[in-house]
Amino acid sequence: MIRWLGGFAWFVVDWARACAMRRPPPGRVMEEAFRIGVMSLPVLLTISIFVGTNLALQGYNAFVPLGGQRLVGMFVALAGVRELAPIIAAAMVAAKAGTEMASQIAVMKTREQVDALEVMAVNPLWWLVTPRLYGIVLVMPALTVISIFTMVAASYVAATVQLGLNGAVFLEFARNATSGFDLVAGVVKGFVFGIVICFVSTYCGFASTKGPEGVGQATNSAVVISSVACVSINYIVSQVLYG
Amino acid sequence: MDEPIVFTGVSKRFGALTVLDDVSLSFQRGQTTAVIGPSGTGKSVLLKHIVGLLHPDSGTVSVLGVDMARAKDKDVYAVRKRLGMLFQDGALFDSLSVGENIAFPLQRHRADLSTKRQRERVDQVLELVELPGLYDRPTSALSGGQRKRVGLARAIVNEPEIVLFDEPNSGLDPMTSDAIDHLIHDMKAKLGITFVVISHDIVGTINVADRIAMLYQGKLIANGTTAEVVRSEHPVLRRFLGRNLVLPEPGDDGLPRLPSI
Repeated sequence: MIRWLGGFAWFVVDWARACAMRRPPPGRVMEEAFRIGVMSLPVLLTISIFVGTNLALQGYNAFVPLGGQRLVGMFVALAGVRELAPIIAAAMVAAKAGTEMASQIAVMKTREQVDALEVMAVNPLWWLVTPRLYGIVLVMPALTVISIFTMVAASYVAATVQLGLNGAVFLEFARNATSGFDLVAGVVKGFVFGIVICFVSTYCGFASTKGPEGVGQATNSAVVISSVACVSINYIVSQVLYG
Repeated sequence: MDEPIVFTGVSKRFGALTVLDDVSLSFQRGQTTAVIGPSGTGKSVLLKHIVGLLHPDSGTVSVLGVDMARAKDKDVYAVRKRLGMLFQDGALFDSLSVGENIAFPLQRHRADLSTKRQRERVDQVLELVELPGLYDRPTSALSGGQRKRVGLARAIVNEPEIVLFDEPNSGLDPMTSDAIDHLIHDMKAKLGITFVVISHDIVGTINVADRIAMLYQGKLIANGTTAEVVRSEHPVLRRFLGRNLVLPEPGDDGLPRLPSI
């Protein structure tokens, strides 16, 4: 664990030293942003819809016996907008885009393509990490906002159509519980989670051992470590923003 | 500088295993030097020291006048721009076509060349490696021999001063292996650049090399012209080369004459 953290810290420092002040490879940032966005969107929408419906259902079950059905909208807004949507977006991007980053780089390492970049005087951190980092940082805030709206919309539909709650009341309580600041907070979380997922996943690829086993381990580590890191960091960010 | 690559007292260990043990060796400009030896004797490690992917525990590796272990990153990258390397499996990028793979070093380092000139240069080296017209072919559709040729084309496209070959014949059938040897031999005659070939294919080595160095258990046990090394009576060398090996006679150009294929 300490060894992994040490290696990871050096990796980030190496990238910052060699690439932070350097323009990314031309054309590759938008390519990565498009790929990460398109790859993650279908699964993110699906998960957000069903998390939203379940929030409404559980809120209804919790508050209606107490006579507080009006609170369902507030519950969905607080739990979904502030916490669940950013975490769901991070987990889905880690599962789709993060695993792809780790496995691609691990395969390139196995096939000596990373060495080939070095020998052709192209810094692999600049070529492989920079475009992915800028790409994910561009799309993660957008994916988080999409997850927020999808989750609230799905909750609204479930609350009004399935559970028979008043739509106007649901929306009023949801609106009163949240503000524009929550969207900004979602964007900030998306930005931070994007950076974490990219560095963790690409590091897992670079640090992998050669061969199929190494590729499998890198992919697995990328999604597990990214998800745990995002959930942990989410607590800190929420403390800073709402504490 | 007649010796663009100089190893001085280089030792390298991985844990308890000594892979290179006080190796001092220089490579002559414009010549093909083959580094031979059984598997696991440090040949690929030696090659990785030349390109700066590994650094010695002691000693120095000087390439084109730059100490690869102690120089700044920008100086190491400047040296690498003057090198080309053929990897064992070609190390071609799967997401790029054959032509895009070959054009990669030009796109990165030759901003002075227009896209049209880069394309012309790629077509030229594709002709040289006898794969004309394959610019748009995906690398997944290439055979093992074709991958080596494309890797070779990429290694020479930026007109390097030194080209390194890591096991150019490994995994190839005898005919394709011969064809690659011919290619290396012909290119050396045409381009006059310094070649370093890592191999344990003896016939191929003797066909292409001006000089041979042999590593055994991390030590340099032979170093000289191909004729000198082949005729050496060193017992390990004799066992490695085989007793019945016949050195091809030199042709008019002074290079060993290769059997036709």
